[in-house]
Amino acid sequence: MVLKIFFPQCCNRADSGLLVGRWISGHDSAVVLAVIHYPFIPGQVKQYIQQMQAQSGVQLSILGSWSLPREGQEGMESFLRDLSTIFPQEHWLQISRHMGKTGFTCEILNREQTAQQEAQKKHKEQDGADGEDEADDDHEKKVIFVHYEQRKVMLSQLHPMEDEGPDPKTDAPSELRQVFQAVARSQPLFFLDKYDDGPLKSTHWQTEGREASIVVELLKQASVPLCFLIGWLLSLWTWICNIRIFSLYPLRFLSSKLSTCVQLSYRSEHMWTISSPTAATDHMQFMRKANILVSFLVDVALGILLMSWLYRDDHITMLANTLVPAADHVAKELEELLQWLMGAPAGLKMNRALDQVLGRFFLYHIHLWISYIHLMSPFVEGILWYGGLSACLGLTFALSLFSDMVALLTFHIYCFYVYGARLYCLKIYSLSSLWRLFRGKKWNVLRQRVDSCSYDLDQLCIGTLLFTILLFLLPTTALYYLVFTLLRLVVVLFQGVLHLAVDFINSFPLFAMGLRICRSYRLAEGVKFRVLCDEPGTALHLLMEINPLKCSTVVQTYRTPTYSCYPRDSWTALIKKLFVGELIYPWRHKSTKTD
Amino acid sequence: MGPDGAPGPAVPWRKVLWEHQPFPDNYVDQRFLEELRRNEGIRQYRYWAVVKEAGFVGQQLSCVAIFITLWIYMEQGLLSPETLLWTSLTCGVLGYGLHQVLMSHAEPCSEPRTYLADLQSTTIFLSFTFGFSPVLKTLTESVSTDTVYAMSAVMLLAHLVSFPYAQPSPPGSLSLNAALFASVCLASRLPGTMHTFAMLSCALLVFALWPCLLQKLRANAPSQFTGACVGVCVGGIGGLGSQSLGGAVLLSLALGCVTLLCPLLLVRLQRHKDNIQGPWDEAEIHEDLSRFLH
Repeated sequence: MVLKIFFPQCCNRADSGLLVGRWISGHDSAVVLAVIHYPFIPGQVKQYIQQMQAQSGVQLSILGSWSLPREGQEGMESFLRDLSTIFPQEHWLQISRHMGKTGFTCEILNREQTAQQEAQKKHKEQDGADGEDEADDDHEKKVIFVHYEQRKVMLSQLHPMEDEGPDPKTDAPSELRQVFQAVARSQPLFFLDKYDDGPLKSTHWQTEGREASIVVELLKQASVPLCFLIGWLLSLWTWICNIRIFSLYPLRFLSSKLSTCVQLSYRSEHMWTISSPTAATDHMQFMRKANILVSFLVDVALGILLMSWLYRDDHITMLANTLVPAADHVAKELEELLQWLMGAPAGLKMNRALDQVLGRFFLYHIHLWISYIHLMSPFVEGILWYGGLSACLGLTFALSLFSDMVALLTFHIYCFYVYGARLYCLKIYSLSSLWRLFRGKKWNVLRQRVDSCSYDLDQLCIGTLLFTILLFLLPTTALYYLVFTLLRLVVVLFQGVLHLAVDFINSFPLFAMGLRICRSYRLAEGVKFRVLCDEPGTALHLLMEINPLKCSTVVQTYRTPTYSCYPRDSWTALIKKLFVGELIYPWRHKSTKTD
Repeated sequence: MGPDGAPGPAVPWRKVLWEHQPFPDNYVDQRFLEELRRNEGIRQYRYWAVVKEAGFVGQQLSCVAIFITLWIYMEQGLLSPETLLWTSLTCGVLGYGLHQVLMSHAEPCSEPRTYLADLQSTTIFLSFTFGFSPVLKTLTESVSTDTVYAMSAVMLLAHLVSFPYAQPSPPGSLSLNAALFASVCLASRLPGTMHTFAMLSCALLVFALWPCLLQKLRANAPSQFTGACVGVCVGGIGGLGSQSLGGAVLLSLALGCVTLLCPLLLVRLQRHKDNIQGPWDEAEIHEDLSRFLH
């Protein structure tokens, strides 16, 4: 049997005393949390232990004794052995170290075998044997000392995290997890430093004095009124948003389509999360709050950077002056495209009459659009100026606004696409139905299959005529549909790129990433062991180092859930929809709240 | 006795497989193949009867030929659309009258399948075609002539192949549609919209209404039916001949094949027919099952 003792590195040179720690249930291990030095009064020690247990919720106990004899402190052995009677335990560890030697020695006393052990120990000492361990005779117990850095383990969080539900898991948490939890929860134990005038003196990582930074303390004090202020502002904003006039159908529909409004609602949800004045209860909530805060600050910083660029050197006027000619240019290109389609594009066989009709129809639309743009041109600069102000709310807002503006400016392409798609869809539907008539069959709606059918004479005649007409007009319609679908897809792709950028800024866990880079021990995936001292005859000493989490796992675990837009259909479904002529809206928004 | 059996025991062998018998499964006795019947129900064809039936097929072929002839005339401007239109209308009215007469002969107390319904169908069709004929005219403008001819040929062939020769009265969907498709293709090549309209009306007459009349004729006046077939064939050959001699020769060859040669082959090859029928192993229920009916 192997006994593992987790020993903090800060106690390597501690004065002799009692070991305070916790036995890990289910495994043969113990974790040492602190050393309480002599002199002490056993009653006070017991009282202190109970107080700490109540405060931290950890099952603390005295594990055993620690002796590092200095000059003039010989002969403590018997004293130490007698201690085991004062603090009755199942197992009693006696760890001792000599100056100049690297290894520890450990003796384990079981309660019922204490007397026997004492006799045997005297026997061994008289024999002049070096303080070899091996307490029991009945079973060989090997001891492994695992040294850990207490501060790092206390701050670290082991991944994957288990959910803290009301019902405990069926299998007990692993040994490592229990060690980490024990150290993390024993914070009250580490408040006693060497400047305290209490009756007990202990050694742990904070013995040299508790550190605190004035800035952090000031921020903590200031955060509470700030949270209240933000909460009040948010409630005001939510009240405004819930005014009845905004719940009318057109406005509600519009606000669900404009990405600016979506982003606004999403950000206000985040602010609600941050502005709660209670501190975060567990690691996940803390990380989420921190991620949101840092993302928001970075977003606002980038937005202000963008603003400073926009409002300097008359960039806005330059933008406004290029916008109207750009729209004109797009319209002219579209006109040329339509003229090409009205001719014989790529040698395809187009029906001249239908071609002319469709072409003239779309040309008239473009003419309307150009007039509209020219009407709006004096106001463009003003709109841009006020729109640029919104960048102070964050770069994501500026990008959403840009995406909305692109959508508005290419509205005519969207209209053309809808017309072309509807026409094509109707044609395909009629053609398939008439093809069934051609063969003498019809679609059975009840049975969802194709059945034979005997048609009347006039039905057959008219059906065939219509079929012929539609079949010969198919290339023309298909070509217009194809052209406008391609244009629409280009616009959709561009908008998709913008949305992806917004989504990335929204959801990337900057704080967690920064933590992983700067303080990698805070996010632990596991541990690795390094052998410190492996001489035969002494116990094995290992150093436990924290294995930090991989960057990809960090991103995956701490991603803020967003209304991420991802493709709605797979490739085959998309192509099928394109072929049949159904309207496609390729990006689907996953909303976090259900309306 | 049987293929691989020794002389069986006293139990007689029965030709059933669902009972366990002491014979092997492939045992047969001397009554093997007793119940085999060969060429049961074979019909003895008489040559001229078959020729008369095959005449119908030839008639349909000639119909197509007449239609194409009319189209050629229109295209070359030898026939004006108004003439064709009035002729078609007159023929249509005459045919309708004949149809009604024949129907009243056959079923004296037929319900008045309303003249109004027929008039309605005609009006719908004519107005539809007239309204769409400008569209139909420009339908194949950009398609090359060869493609149009090829499509029409294929469609007419499909029409001939899928024509319901046994029962032409409710017209078969595929055959009628193929014929109309071909006629639209051809009609769109004509020089004017009136031509298109006239052609389409003629197509309707020839492909949709004429078979109904023929069916009535065949049912009620068989000798006149044969006369009509012969007349149509002659008209077809003559019409084609007036335009292209080669076509006429081809048509007469085809007609000869279909009407005279193929029946000969059919009658001749009948003697090589060898169908076998027999009672295969069927289970016959000898019990009285009426006890299951309560």
